Amino acid sequence: MISWPNFRRAVPALAVLAAVVAARAEDTFYAQRVAPILEQKCVACHGEKKQKGKLRLDSFAHLMRGGEGGGVVQSGDAKDSELFIRVTLHPADEDFMPADSKPPLTPDEVKVLELWIAAGASATAPLSSIKGAPALAAPKAPVAALAPDWQPRSAQIARLEEELGVRLVARSHLPTDGLVLRTAGAPTRCDDAALAKLAPVADLIVEAELARTKITDAGLVWLATFSNLRALDLTRTRVTSAGLGSLASLGKLESLNLTSTGVDDAGVARLKDLPALRKTWVFDTRVTGVTADPAASAK
Amino acid sequence: MWDLPHVPLGLKREWLGLETRRHFLGQGVKALGWAGLATLLGRSAPNLLANSPIPGAPAMVPHFAPKAKRAIYLFMAGSPSQFETWDHKPALADLFDQDLPESVRGGQTLTGMTASQTRFPIAPSLYKFARHGKAGRFVSELFPYTARVSDELCVIKSLHTDAINHEPAILQLTTGNMFPGRPSIGSWLSYGLGAMNEELPTFVVMTSKMPHRTNVQALSNRLWSSGFLSPEHAAVALRSGSDPVLYLNNPKGVESDVRRAMIDGVNDLNRQLFERVGDPEINARISQYEMAFRMQTSVPELADFSNEPQSTWDLYGPRAKEPGTFAYNCLMARRLAERGVRFTQIFLRSWDQHSRLPTNIKLMAEDSDQPTYALVTDLKRRGLLDDTVVIWGGEFGRTVYSQGTLTPENYGRDHHPRCFSMWMAGGGVKPGISYGETDDFSYNIVKDPMHIRDLHATILHLFGLDHSKLSFKFQGLDQKLTGVLPSKVVHDLLA
Ligand code: HEC
Repeated sequence: MISWPNFRRAVPALAVLAAVVAARAEDTFYAQRVAPILEQKCVACHGEKKQKGKLRLDSFAHLMRGGEGGGVVQSGDAKDSELFIRVTLHPADEDFMPADSKPPLTPDEVKVLELWIAAGASATAPLSSIKGAPALAAPKAPVAALAPDWQPRSAQIARLEEELGVRLVARSHLPTDGLVLRTAGAPTRCDDAALAKLAPVADLIVEAELARTKITDAGLVWLATFSNLRALDLTRTRVTSAGLGSLASLGKLESLNLTSTGVDDAGVARLKDLPALRKTWVFDTRVTGVTADPAASAK
Repeated sequence: MWDLPHVPLGLKREWLGLETRRHFLGQGVKALGWAGLATLLGRSAPNLLANSPIPGAPAMVPHFAPKAKRAIYLFMAGSPSQFETWDHKPALADLFDQDLPESVRGGQTLTGMTASQTRFPIAPSLYKFARHGKAGRFVSELFPYTARVSDELCVIKSLHTDAINHEPAILQLTTGNMFPGRPSIGSWLSYGLGAMNEELPTFVVMTSKMPHRTNVQALSNRLWSSGFLSPEHAAVALRSGSDPVLYLNNPKGVESDVRRAMIDGVNDLNRQLFERVGDPEINARISQYEMAFRMQTSVPELADFSNEPQSTWDLYGPRAKEPGTFAYNCLMARRLAERGVRFTQIFLRSWDQHSRLPTNIKLMAEDSDQPTYALVTDLKRRGLLDDTVVIWGGEFGRTVYSQGTLTPENYGRDHHPRCFSMWMAGGGVKPGISYGETDDFSYNIVKDPMHIRDLHATILHLFGLDHSKLSFKFQGLDQKLTGVLPSKVVHDLLA
């Protein structure tokens, strides 16, 4: 696409290609304030994998090299820098960046780019040298991994699904959110032997949906190796109180569904020591004192 | 061409479209309209890739870890009045038969049914409210059973919609758009998340027997169609009675293996056709044959209630044994949820009380109150409510003023799109709260308005889907359930 801003860049910003004197990168304005914006909003299309407009924005050197229209940063002059022009056009303009209606820069982020370019677009200027930049939003708490990344084992996962007739489904796009062991499509294919064979991926499974399967007390032994299990559904299986002792090592288990199983009060007593367990369901079992109407409010 | 590794998906899809188009034009099928052609071109290429069993196939994994795995949507078609149900307005009692102030009405367009009325007399609810539950919520005496689960509910009083008549309003609720041809919520979930149980449909619809019939709106499969998404994402409508899915049983004298061989043969032919013309609709056809075959065993088991314990009948009431009643459908919905069906939508019609409202709304409430309570309670005691969201509501609200003659015992109410109430329970929704407020006449919203789009965005969020990312390219747009106008997830509703 040829667009008017491209013509305005006959003189690329050569000056800034000067060797970068390495100050401690993490203390620079570029590393602290500029790079995270580009990383979050631009690198999906201008990075290692894709180089739209032959432009990469995933390092200072790449940024300064520019794209197919030449340099994109005019040191000291934001309003003449392609990088800045593109993010301040009207969002409906076909040259507006980020393209494809991806989330635009916030006014604060635009301000950060403007101040940085105005101050010389330096890789080494310390964070404190550029005044007036809007404060950073409070950093998000890092998301705790629920399980190891499953991706390196995806071939094995696919093989086990094929062989056992169960499904191992990613819980989310985040590969450390773990897998769901899902059997709803063919519950009767999942038995104690199948659980045993899941051992190589046991640590990846965060939720085990085993309702209506053929699991018995003997199979629960294998669940002991599901070290990252948070939720376990054993509804309508032949599990009894005797088997529940095998769950003692599931230190992360938060919810356990024992509806319509053979458990009784003795089994529930065995669960007392599970440190993370918050919810247990024992409707339609021999456990005593279960209300048939749990949602009803106290009169 | 699906195997070329480095070709972007969008480009492959375009090739596929060109292939199809060239094929059709080459065959000289002139009768094929451009609209139909556009439908073919726009359709469903990603599904071919997304059916991969490998976790992480992009279209089938939530964007973030979900709270809800399934939803049961109790659609009260015709629209129950908010005044007698969830938007308690005690001060109206003193204003009986007074005229609604002009300033409140604000020159709003009325329907043809009341536009010619000379007076707009205020009709307070004939039904009383009392506090229930730990949260002390006011619940109508029409719902003695639902009142018992009041602490599970999140009541939204500030919904608003764009349509003032039933058909467009119901379409907007079910598909996000007043015009037919868009995928229903359940279809978007099927497209975005795939099936949890391949033996049953992902999206099921049931319509219920009505306790009485006045102003009954026709329901059609427009409300549960897959629109421009591949047809396998449309709902399967379960019928009441012994044959929940029509033509599922083998014809008399045809053994199962013969039927299997026949389906294999047809699928082979279809596969050859697909290789030749590349029309993705053919693949949808193949998968529907397969689904029908699998349902031959899964549906009879599903519809066999004989293994339900007595506690079930105690809870849902005796009507649950009668196929097609709302009570039966609620029990069926629980059975579908247990078996991993993602989205079940139950329609109950005849809430459209333009006249004789007090009598008729009571009939409707008596029919649906116990089953509604039963469903929430049953899900709760079986540990399913945590990841199943139940949604209750109609398509718009009703007017504070009476349509037709107002007497102390009788009145009617006209349609009112500016505000209405719904509730949600379970599936990651905050229990025991109310959201949004209307003015003293429940005519305008005074706090926290929530458009249908916001409801849709919030439902998708519960399923781990970002409404702005769940899209499908069609007619040059990234089509979304929430469309192009601003919409937001209402975080205040999330537990
Ligand atoms: C969705 C993909 C996408 C994203 C995200 C994106 N861009 Fe682009 N960008 C493109 C495409 C495609 C082009 C080439 C077409 C053009 O020049 O408009 C381009 C070109 C450019 C160019 C011109 C390069 C040249 O020399 O011609 C600049 C500057 C640019 N982008 C800056 C940005 C910035 C800054 C961001 C982040 C705020 C960003 N882009 C995010 C797709 C994207």
